[in-house]
Amino acid sequence: MNGWLSAAALLLLVGFAPTVWGAASGPVRRRVMAQNLATLAGCLVLLLLAQGYARPSYVDLALVLAVLGPAGTLVYARLLADELAERPARDPVARALGRAMTPLAAVCVPLVVLPLCVATGPGRAMVKLLAIGALLIGGNIVSTRALSARHATGHTPRGTGHTPQATGPERHTTGGQSGAAGG
Amino acid sequence: MRPVADVLIVLALALVAASSTAAVLARDPVRQSTVLALLGLSLALLFAVLQAPDVALSQLAVGSALTPLMLLLSVRKVRRKGKEGGSHRNAGNRTGSTDQEGRR
Repeated sequence: MNGWLSAAALLLLVGFAPTVWGAASGPVRRRVMAQNLATLAGCLVLLLLAQGYARPSYVDLALVLAVLGPAGTLVYARLLADELAERPARDPVARALGRAMTPLAAVCVPLVVLPLCVATGPGRAMVKLLAIGALLIGGNIVSTRALSARHATGHTPRGTGHTPQATGPERHTTGGQSGAAGG
Repeated sequence: MRPVADVLIVLALALVAASSTAAVLARDPVRQSTVLALLGLSLALLFAVLQAPDVALSQLAVGSALTPLMLLLSVRKVRRKGKEGGSHRNAGNRTGSTDQEGRR
């Protein structure tokens, strides 16, 4: 019982606290990616809290966040298309985040969800946990791809050589998706 | 269990304090919107740590999707009005978005 709360505190400190700094400084693209990462970390913290407090109904919070977090990121990707396109990815943090987001989700979500599944045992709760994990990974793939697509299409009126820039992030995200599906 | 729960409460309070300070210090509304989304998320985490899941549920629904949507929609409307009125602030370098804004 104690270990889950310790893991939640650790994840809050390591995973969530840097995203506050990332979302509060830097260009818009980095802020949106930090918000995306914060949604993932917050959802995992909520899952760990539900197990730590031994209240299975708290899992609903994580479910709502897993649905609404990618929706919020898609809102940013739709309404901030100009700002996302204005600044090319010169920021190293934003570039690293854009590259590492999908593998990070594919590694971290099973790392948290699978021990929770073992702890809860088979049943409806386990199916719910697995659904939340699938929603998290899928939503992360969708939102990261939307951000990359906005970025790629924003470059098209800027320069003539837009095709390699347009295919670069697309190929990267599809590679991450196949890795997530395999793992 | 007690000390870990206290550590969690202190951590969540510190996160709320940090993100709300950042939200106050951000001047540009567009950049403030991401900080506001993070503030809503950390407030929801604080409510969940304080054993108030119903408040956390509504805070999640409002803070993570609705607040940025409202803020960004109003920013876009203000900018469009400023451009139609011949304002000099946002003139230029937004030619690619005129068709999108004209559709709305």
